[in-house]
Amino acid sequence: MTYVIGANCVDVKDRTCVAECPVACIHEGDRMLYIHPEECVDCGACEPVCPVEAIYHVDDLPADWLWHLDAAAEATAGRADAEPVSDPATVTALPPAIQ
Amino acid sequence: MSDTPLLTIAERPASPPSARDFRSDQEVRWCPGCGDYAILAAVQGFLPELGLRRENIVFVSGIGCSSRFPYYLDTYGMHSIHGRAPAIATGLAVSRPDLSVWVVTGDGDALSIGGNHLIHALRRNVNLKILLFNNRIYGLTKGQYSPTSETGKITKSTPEGSLDHPFNPVSLALGAEAGFVARTLDSDRKHLTSVLRAAAAHEGTALVEIYQNCNIFNDGAFERLKAPGTRDEHVLRLEHGAPMRYGPAGVRTVVRDPGGGLRPGAADDAAVVHDAHTSDPVPAFALSRLPEAGGPTPIGVFRSVRRPTYDGAVAEQGRRVRAARGPGSVADLLGGGDTWTVPAPFGSEAR
Repeated sequence: MTYVIGANCVDVKDRTCVAECPVACIHEGDRMLYIHPEECVDCGACEPVCPVEAIYHVDDLPADWLWHLDAAAEATAGRADAEPVSDPATVTALPPAIQ
Repeated sequence: MSDTPLLTIAERPASPPSARDFRSDQEVRWCPGCGDYAILAAVQGFLPELGLRRENIVFVSGIGCSSRFPYYLDTYGMHSIHGRAPAIATGLAVSRPDLSVWVVTGDGDALSIGGNHLIHALRRNVNLKILLFNNRIYGLTKGQYSPTSETGKITKSTPEGSLDHPFNPVSLALGAEAGFVARTLDSDRKHLTSVLRAAAAHEGTALVEIYQNCNIFNDGAFERLKAPGTRDEHVLRLEHGAPMRYGPAGVRTVVRDPGGGLRPGAADDAAVVHDAHTSDPVPAFALSRLPEAGGPTPIGVFRSVRRPTYDGAVAEQGRRVRAARGPGSVADLLGGGDTWTVPAPFGSEAR
């Protein structure tokens, strides 16, 4: 089980969640942040601090955000300790978010 | 009457169990960000390695935040009495050698309320694995100082600072004759898992102290042991047979102190080699006091020494006596003629 960061994070990257994570499993990509689904311990510390409500438990993820779980798995594969990562093609292809 | 059986036995999965199989259907209720989540994930990830069926594993807990643990594991479990988990687990381990028995406890439950039960389980060397979550605070009761809180700690119950000298759980366990003592960190999953593996393989009582962050009432208590910028300087990773070096790129050493203990040495000193299997508990004790000598905090296995287990001795004694005298009977014992009379107290006849 894991928490997942969805589309609201794209081009926002507030990063408050990064400091909250007790196991350093939130990784920064070019356009958004990703939670490592294998390393996440389900503690839920990140979810309430997100200012744009981008973080959901995988069980509560809106249907049109389900693909973000695969994107997070792809982006964080083999990474540890909150290392920066590259965006997967699915995220790179997103249109710029309106600020 | 219907032919439908009252109870349907669930089929066992054919594939070996995975971490998912050890998750219960209960909603996990700790504060968001609690270190207990990380420990739970590591334990669930490790349990399949035991190669045991879930029904042959038992987790017994006492009272406290940590003691909610058994609800979240799909094994047998018991949320028992404050501080008394080692006593209940002792009974279970002695009477059911087919079970892998684990105790989950905290610094308050194990060292204050249940201090006596803990030391006697260690002394007897019952085949138990004790996971002691140490967050140096009473979390469930909302932030009073615990037996491992540092002197001078300001809490709700010590507004001017605590006057108590804290326990060092590793030193205490070694003094109580523990054969296996280790320490690890909640957030270091790889290390935590390696220590659980060593504890599970040890025959007898294994005490594992897990430094656990209470992010609500004692946040950051172990931060310097975890933060990427400071951890190398403050943590000594113990490995049996390896020289004790730490610091960035292992430039610092641990050496013998002329007073008998251990202390940090110079970079070019010959580091003491860690021997977890020596029968003498003194080196492990000296290691447990290393931070007081200005050295780093050791994590890993301090001591791993085999000695006869209590449950093994009980079973052996039973076999020996049954072989000599045949099977016993409680009814015969109660109805037997071995009685005695309590005489009247001296001088009572005169009244």
